[in-house]
Amino acid sequence: MLELIEAWLHRPNFIAFVILFLWGFYIMVTHHNFVKKLIGMYIVQTSVIFFLVAISAKTGATVPILLSGTVPVHAETYANPLPHVLTLTAIVVQVATLGVSLALVAAIYRKYGSLDEDEILKRLE
Amino acid sequence: MRDHAPAILFLLPFVTAISLPMVGLKRREWCRPMALVAVSAMGPVALANLMVVLNHGEIRYAFSGWAAPIGIEWVADGLASVVMVVVSFLALLALIHAGPTSPQTLGQRIVPYYTLILLLISALTGIVFAGDLFNVFVFLEVAALSGYALVGVAGGKALVSAFRYLILGTLGASLYLLGVGYFYAATGTLNMADLALRVPALVTSKAIVGGLIFMFLGLAIKMALMPLHGWLPDAYTHAPEAVSPLLASLVTKVALIAWVRIMFGVVGPDTEIEHVPVLILLEELGAIAAVVGALLALTQHELKRMFAYGGISHIGLILVGVGLGNPTGFAGGLFYLINDAVMQAALFFLAGAVVYQYGARTIDELGCLRGQAPWMTGALIVMAMSMVGFPPTGGFFGKWYIILGAIEAHHYFAVAAVILSTILTLAYFVKLFERIFRDRPVSSVMSPVEAPLSLKVSVGAVSATIILLGVWSDPIVGFLLKTAVPTGW
Repeated sequence: MLELIEAWLHRPNFIAFVILFLWGFYIMVTHHNFVKKLIGMYIVQTSVIFFLVAISAKTGATVPILLSGTVPVHAETYANPLPHVLTLTAIVVQVATLGVSLALVAAIYRKYGSLDEDEILKRLE
Repeated sequence: MRDHAPAILFLLPFVTAISLPMVGLKRREWCRPMALVAVSAMGPVALANLMVVLNHGEIRYAFSGWAAPIGIEWVADGLASVVMVVVSFLALLALIHAGPTSPQTLGQRIVPYYTLILLLISALTGIVFAGDLFNVFVFLEVAALSGYALVGVAGGKALVSAFRYLILGTLGASLYLLGVGYFYAATGTLNMADLALRVPALVTSKAIVGGLIFMFLGLAIKMALMPLHGWLPDAYTHAPEAVSPLLASLVTKVALIAWVRIMFGVVGPDTEIEHVPVLILLEELGAIAAVVGALLALTQHELKRMFAYGGISHIGLILVGVGLGNPTGFAGGLFYLINDAVMQAALFFLAGAVVYQYGARTIDELGCLRGQAPWMTGALIVMAMSMVGFPPTGGFFGKWYIILGAIEAHHYFAVAAVILSTILTLAYFVKLFERIFRDRPVSSVMSPVEAPLSLKVSVGAVSATIILLGVWSDPIVGFLLKTAVPTGW
């Protein structure tokens, strides 16, 4: 048990990821306000992106650009560009999702004059 | 040239989708013809692609010449090519059907509406062909985002359903992305073929097990597997009549295809987590979904909601089939997937046509069909026969192979679940036909209008396809057995 906790403490970034993910999920589940649900959703997405960044972090590495074609390449001195590209794409997806969801929330507010889930469900019946 | 079919299939709807807003600025009435031309061109290309795959084996398409695992690769194997034919055929029919049944209040928004439909179709193409876990994520999100917008396009109740769909769908996508991250951290690659070489050695590692569970949870939300189906009935019921068939027939099924590719192509069907075979879990989740979905369908009063729950129960049946762990069940499950795509399209086409002609949304109002719409009732009878599983239709042969596979694997629990869900399906269609044939005919809510040709074409074509799938079940299942079954069985 003690070893497990020690292993966790060596990886603070993963603990941060778990806390963020669960926090966002908790907000999504418990809040009745649509905008707050969106905030929770955004935290969940961001936590996953944070996880992608955390697994690819590398100390002492440089940008993956070859300055000359003749010097032998030491792959271990460069940062891996692929996770960064994934992260960028995931951020683009996240922004698009946020745009669509805000448009939906705005349309709901114009139609029902409220953002509270209970109130809207009452008016739907 | 012939190897470029996968890219062409994606680019046809995609290029049209991004050029529609420009054309639509001046000529709004061109949107529908342009969309129809692009999607009808997909059919022949998909067939040509299938012929190439039949004769020359699978196509591995490397984008910009960068070979996998460095570049992005698309794989057109037997399964993907067959599913692509189904997708392009149903997408065309859905577009034809969308003519009269699209919301009348769109006005200027008709341009983004068709753009979204085309984007959805191109994203489905991407999911079917993608040979890369991250590509699957991107296309899942493109499909889902266009799906959310299309569900909410008509406003009203649909907005709240679309919002709920968005929240759950995004949670699913985040979980899937998290699983992909785990796989990448453990193996350092995202290409499915490359992963298939590295994962078996690591299958006991916690990262792979965790990643697999997260990916499954994410895709289970997308395919609306039973306990995670909450978003589906509302979204499909309140979506515009023109949109529901497209979503119901294709989106959940394509997510299931993505899962089949990961489970059978990457991880391997014999994987065990702590001595529990993963396939058994799949099969039992599927069995529960098959029975409970049909049971919930029985309790519904709204036509579209009943069909939506029917679709949830069929996702379960497909999972039972692919989870049996033998070629017969696997091919049967995939054949049932094709059938289910056609049947869901058929049911929602019919529901849309009934709303358009008679304004009937609940099954109590269906009495207005009696004596007035013999062709529509006939089509409904064909669909019901296939949903329940009577011999000349495709639905029967799908269930037949699933049951054969279950007997072969000695999984009598699965046999019982399939039969129980069949009986429940029969029960809810009996309830439906009772309203049409036995109860007092009700006068329709609105004065009936003559069905436009496009509705007749779409409903007729899918009904004919249901019968044809039954007639041709033998060659199709034979083809799936030959090409789609994972190696090693």
